[in-house]
Amino acid sequence: MKGITVLILLFGTFVSAQNLQMQQDSVDVQLDEIVIIAAKKKKIETEMKMAVSVDEFLASSDNISFIKRGAYAWEPLLNNMSTERSIITIDGMHVFGACTDKMDPVTSYVESNNLAEIDIQSGQAGGLNGATVAGSIDLKRKSTSFGLSKKWNAAYQTGFEFNNNQFFNLGNASYSGEKLVAEGSISYRKAENYSDGNNDEVNHSQYDKFNTSLGLAYKTSDLSALRVDAIFDKAKDVGFPALPMDLSLSRALITSVAYKQFFENGIVKVWDTKLYFNAVEHYMDDTTRPENLVHMDMPGWSTTYGMVSKINLKKEKFASEIQLNAYDNLSIAEMRMYPQDRSERTMFAFSWPWVTTQYAGLSTSNTYDISEKSQLNFGGALGVNYNYSKYVEFNRIFHPSASQEKTRFLPSLHAGYNLDINQFNLSVGGGYGHRAPSVSEGYGYYIYNSFDRYDYIGNPDLKNEVSYEVNASAGYKTKKGGILAKANYFYIQDYIIGRILSAGSPMNYQSVGVKGYTSLDNATLFNFSLNGKYTVLKDLHWKGTLTYARGLDDNKNNLPFIRPLSYQTSLHYAYQKFGFSTSLNGDYKQINYSPEYGEDQTPSYTNWNASANYTFYIDGYKTVFQVGAENILNEYYSTYADWGNIPRMGRNIFTSLKINF
Amino acid sequence: MKLIQFTVFVLFVVVTSCTLDKTDYEAELVTETTEYIEYEEVTAIVSENYTIRIEALNGTLYKGYNEIHLKINNSQTNESLDNSEVTFLPIITDANGNKSSCPHAYNLVYNDNEGYYTGYAVFTSESDSTVHWEIYIDITDNGEVTTVNPAITIAEQNNLNLNMTAFTGNDGEHYFIALVAPQSPSVSQNDLLAGIYKYNKPTSNAGTFPDASQYSYSVVKNHTLLLDPRMPEPSMGNHSSPNNQDLTQESDGLYYGVVNYTMTGNWTLNFILKNENDDIIKGTEVSTEFTPGIEGEKGELHIDILF
Ligand SMILES: [Cu+2]
Repeated sequence: MKGITVLILLFGTFVSAQNLQMQQDSVDVQLDEIVIIAAKKKKIETEMKMAVSVDEFLASSDNISFIKRGAYAWEPLLNNMSTERSIITIDGMHVFGACTDKMDPVTSYVESNNLAEIDIQSGQAGGLNGATVAGSIDLKRKSTSFGLSKKWNAAYQTGFEFNNNQFFNLGNASYSGEKLVAEGSISYRKAENYSDGNNDEVNHSQYDKFNTSLGLAYKTSDLSALRVDAIFDKAKDVGFPALPMDLSLSRALITSVAYKQFFENGIVKVWDTKLYFNAVEHYMDDTTRPENLVHMDMPGWSTTYGMVSKINLKKEKFASEIQLNAYDNLSIAEMRMYPQDRSERTMFAFSWPWVTTQYAGLSTSNTYDISEKSQLNFGGALGVNYNYSKYVEFNRIFHPSASQEKTRFLPSLHAGYNLDINQFNLSVGGGYGHRAPSVSEGYGYYIYNSFDRYDYIGNPDLKNEVSYEVNASAGYKTKKGGILAKANYFYIQDYIIGRILSAGSPMNYQSVGVKGYTSLDNATLFNFSLNGKYTVLKDLHWKGTLTYARGLDDNKNNLPFIRPLSYQTSLHYAYQKFGFSTSLNGDYKQINYSPEYGEDQTPSYTNWNASANYTFYIDGYKTVFQVGAENILNEYYSTYADWGNIPRMGRNIFTSLKINF
Repeated sequence: MKLIQFTVFVLFVVVTSCTLDKTDYEAELVTETTEYIEYEEVTAIVSENYTIRIEALNGTLYKGYNEIHLKINNSQTNESLDNSEVTFLPIITDANGNKSSCPHAYNLVYNDNEGYYTGYAVFTSESDSTVHWEIYIDITDNGEVTTVNPAITIAEQNNLNLNMTAFTGNDGEHYFIALVAPQSPSVSQNDLLAGIYKYNKPTSNAGTFPDASQYSYSVVKNHTLLLDPRMPEPSMGNHSSPNNQDLTQESDGLYYGVVNYTMTGNWTLNFILKNENDDIIKGTEVSTEFTPGIEGEKGELHIDILF
C-alpha cells in the first residue's frame, strides 16, 4: 500500500509540474502526427473474420502458436516457446499473470477494441523491453492523435457465434481536440460451452469477459503531452475443460501515466517516460467439478510497479532507440485444501511464496542505413534481475540450501543485416541473450501441471538460460505477388524444463509424481516458415503459409509443444460491396512428439472456413455485416498443443456487424 | 487536469480493494500451536526448612515431555540450596489405586549458572477425577534427608507436536517416545527432537513406598528412530515429504532428526525403532504409494501431529 501512496504522490507532482508548463503554452505549432502515433497500424482483424478475439488475431501470425486449455485465454507460444521465454507487454508495460496454472496470459487482459496493433519481435530483437529468449509480443493500445479533422470517432461491433452461443458487444469512442484527447472502450463477451466435431458439448468451456479502457491525453505544450491510461478487465465463470478446475473470478487493473516530449532540433527526437502500476487477482474454483472429492482454493495475486523511459535518436542514416526499463513485481499464490469433511481443519501452503522480482535494464536498438539497399540493425541490453522469496522455507524443502535472494545479470546482443536487390530481399542475423527463470520455475511449489500430471517444484538457484540464435530470410517480390522464406535456429544452454524428482510425493489429487525444474545442458529449436501471396485477378487474392519446427533436448529427444508441419491457405475475393473469403488450415500428423514430456501423438486435421461480408451505409455511417463458418466440415480434432487432448470447436457459424461513427 | 487527477484517484481506490484477503501466514501457524518459551512457577511447596518452587514451560505440566526446574531455598537461612542431592519421582495412582510412574530424571542436576535443579518427566496421562499424580522430592542437605510429596495436576496436551506414545517392544520391554521439539513447526525443514525411554523392570521386591528401584526408567541409548512423515487425510493420498532425516541420539540424550512438512495440516510421523544392532524394536514400514481418496495407512509405531 505504501507503494501506491508513493505512486500517487509521484503522479501528483507530475500533474502539477505540467500545470506550470501549460501557462507557457504559446505558438500553435502542429505536432508531427506521424511521430506521435505508431507509424504503422494494423487493424485487429483477420481476413477471415473481422470480429476476432485477441487470441484469434495472434493466431494469424506465423510464429505464434497456442497452448489451449479451453475456449478462453490461450497461452501464446512464440517461436514454439512458452511464455516464460517471451516478453509479453502492454504498451511496453510488464504485466504478470496471477495464475500458477497459466490461465491468464497477459493477452487475456486486453480486448481487440482497445488495441491498435500487436508488435511481434522474434528472438533477441525483442529484447528491448526485457530479457527474452523467444522474442517479444507488445500489445499496442489505441492512441488517438491530437487535432484530427474529425473530432469524434466511434465504432460499435456486435455479433453472435452459434456454436457456443457467444454474444459480444464491443464499443469504443474517441475525442480528438487540439489540446485534449479522450478515448474509451467497453466490451462484454459471454459464451456458453462449445461443442466439438461430434456435436458433443465440451463441459466447462464457458466464459464471461468484461473489459473497459480509458485514455486521456493532454497537450502540455506544443511539443509535449501527458497521457493517462487505464484498462480494467474482469473475467468470471471461465471454464477450463483441460484443467481440473475453473476460474471463478479474475480482475486486472492496468494503469499508466506517460509524459512525452518532442524535440524539433538535434538528434534526440522523442523522449517518452511512463510510470505504471498494475494489479491482477485470480481466484480459481474447483467446486464446479463433482469428480473432485477434495477441494482446493487457489487464489493468486500479482502486483507490478514499473517505469519505462525511452528516447529516440535520429541522425542522417542512423536511428536509435534507447530504453530504460524497471519494474517490481510481487507474485503470491496460495493453496488451501480441505479434507472431505470441509469443517475439518484445512491444509495450507504457498505455491508462490511471496516472490518479488525486480528488474532494471538498459537496452538499445539501432538501425544504420549502409546504402539505399542495405541496412544494419543491431542492439543489446544489460539487465539486472533480483528475486526475493519471503517464505523461502517452502523452497528449502526440496532445495535445502536454496538462497532467499538471488541477483542475476542478463546481457543480450543482436545484429542483423538486410539487403534489397531488385526484387529480392535477403536478411541474416544473430543474437545472444540470457533470461532469468520465471517465478514458477524459480520458486513454484507443488504447481500441478495437468498436461503431464506432475506437481512442479521450482529451484531458486537455476542457472540463467542462455540463448544463441541465428536467423535468415529470403524473399522475392513481383507486382502480382511474393514469396518469403524465414528460418531461425536457437541453441539454448541450460534449458529449463521439468524433470522427475526421486524425492517427494505428489500433493495434488490427480498428480502422479513430482517434477523439479532443472536445467538441461542444452536444447535446440528450429523454426521455418514459408509465406506466399499472389493476386490472381484484380479482386482475387491468394495467400499461403507453411510452417515447420523442430525442438530437441540434449539427448536428441523431442521437446514438447513443437508445432508439427502446418499450413494455411486462403482466397479472398471482393465484388462491389461484397467480400468473400475461404481458407484451409491444418497440421500434419505430429511425428516428432515427446512422450518423455507427457505428449502423445496427435493426428492430422484440416479446417475449412469461409465468410462473406457486405458493406453498406446507415445514415451515412459505414456498416459492415459479416457471416461465416469455421470448421465447416465439423471435423473432430484436437491439436498438438491442446492441453489434455481436449477437442476443439466443431462447426461454428458466426455473424457480426460493425458500425463506424 | 482536474479530470486526470480525479481519474487517477478513482483508479487507486479501485485497486486497493481486493476481493479475497491474502492469508496471514504467520497467524495461520499459531492457530494450532502455541510456542512456550518462558518457565513459570507450577507450584511452590513450603516445608519446615525449604521452599521448593517447581517451574515448567507456561507454568503448567502437560501430558508428554516436560522439562522441569526446581528452585530450592533454605527458609532458615534464606539462601538458595546449591549443589545438593535432589531426587524426583512422579507417581500416578489410577482408579484402582495402582501406583506406577513414568519416564523421568530421578537425580536432578544442579545448574550453576541458573541456580536451579533440572530434570524432566514424560507424564503418560492427564489428571482427572480418578487419576492422580504426585511427586516425591528428596533433598539431602548435610546428610539430612527432607522429603516432600506435593500433588500435581497434569494438563491435557493441546499441542499435538508434543505428543507421545508408549508401547511394548518386540523385546518385551516397555518403551516411551515423546516429542520434544519443534513446539510450533512450520512448512519447512524442522529439527525434530524426541526423547526415547524405557522402563527398567525391577529386579528386587518392593521396599517401603516409594521405592525408587520399582519405578526406574532410563534413556534408551544408541538406538535409531527411522522416520517417514505422511499426511493421513484421504484427500492427501498418503502424501509425504522429501529430505527427512532419521533420529539419532546426541550427547544430551535426546534424539535428533529432521522432518520436512510440505504444508500445514495433519501429519503422521511413522517410526521404526531400531536398537544398536539394527534389530527392529517396534514399527513397520508404510506404503509409499500416492493413493488419493484413501486414508493413509499408519505404521505400527507412529505419532500424529497437527499444525
Ligand atoms: Cu488459474
